[in-house]
Amino acid sequence: MDDPVAELLLQVAAQDRAAFRALYTAAGAKLMGVALRMLSDRQEAEEAVQEVFTRVWLRAGRFDPGRGRGMTWLIALMRNHAIDRLRARPDPVAEEGAVDALRDSGPTAEGAAIAVGESRRVADCFGQLEPDRAAAVRGAYLDGLSYQDLALRHAVPLNTMRTWLRRSLIRLRECLEQ
Amino acid sequence: MTDAPLTPREDDSALAAEYVLGVLPLPDRAAAEARMKHDPAFAAEVAAWETHFGALNDGFAEAAPPDLMPAIEARLFPAAPARRAGWFGWLVGAVTAAALVLAAVLALPWLAPEHQMHADLTADGTQLVYQVSYAGDQLTVTRIGGEPAPPGQVHELWLIAGNAAPVSLGLIEGDDAVLAMPAPAAGVVLAVSLEPEGGSPSGQPTGPVLVTGVVSDA
Repeated sequence: MDDPVAELLLQVAAQDRAAFRALYTAAGAKLMGVALRMLSDRQEAEEAVQEVFTRVWLRAGRFDPGRGRGMTWLIALMRNHAIDRLRARPDPVAEEGAVDALRDSGPTAEGAAIAVGESRRVADCFGQLEPDRAAAVRGAYLDGLSYQDLALRHAVPLNTMRTWLRRSLIRLRECLEQ
Repeated sequence: MTDAPLTPREDDSALAAEYVLGVLPLPDRAAAEARMKHDPAFAAEVAAWETHFGALNDGFAEAAPPDLMPAIEARLFPAAPARRAGWFGWLVGAVTAAALVLAAVLALPWLAPEHQMHADLTADGTQLVYQVSYAGDQLTVTRIGGEPAPPGQVHELWLIAGNAAPVSLGLIEGDDAVLAMPAPAAGVVLAVSLEPEGGSPSGQPTGPVLVTGVVSDA
């Protein structure tokens, strides 16, 4: 199996504490990057990483290496937790400063090597969307923007935003299924 | 682009993608999560979108976290009581050596003891009682007194170690639930709270905590 993170997850599922530490070393920086970008607050990001690793210990048994890569599974857990925190915030408007500070950092070499085939296909399909719509989908995924945030950023009413994002998603899906 | 309404299949797929992106407001997000639990086709659609959007993961730059591992381990594995010094320490050492020999014998597969834990979750002023037992990598929680959650709500089981924030172990729908997980350490607290259908939307208990109990060796 050419997926060291998945191997560690399987060992963690067998309650191997040394593997759990190795997983923190292997994946901590990526998950911290996700938390920091989405939550825009270092202290909250650290709390979120701590929370997610606690869940990883408890839920590693649900990871199925046949369905995807270990890092993808971990990032999905991290994003879900970050989104739960964002949506529970009283004021849903994202803090722009911290978001912008991170936006320009490029992809990592390791990450780029991971999912080249799928990345290229998704990139091709993104390329078929209007640029502002592709930007909205990326903004939602990477920055955790809500419909409300997106509507503000693109200066359109919320319902319009939702209608065109949903149509863009369906076009993306049609393209990915070809 | 046409303005034809989406087909039901497209509509479901768009909802799954909205869930994965995280753009939905909290109530819609909780509803989508609840649906994933009893609609396998919808859950599969969510998984498919997670894989598709995973291609965007390169966009997340790495950022070194501080060493959070001590705090995480303290929460998951409460420390064993400190050993006493002096002759007692020596005695403990001797006993440990004997225990190691015994453990080596017990490690033979047909003799392996199962890790078993137990807790009764109760509270003053309520008939509600949940019994929790742990054996063979599975935690079983059974309601042995009181009423289930009212319609539109659900009981959610939490693990609380020390002063750390509670961690959700899962929902108790019906009279019991079986959850696959590692053994909880003796001394950690389990609690059941009342949550909206689909479970706590925030990842932390939002409703009242109904009953609690401390885990002990069975």
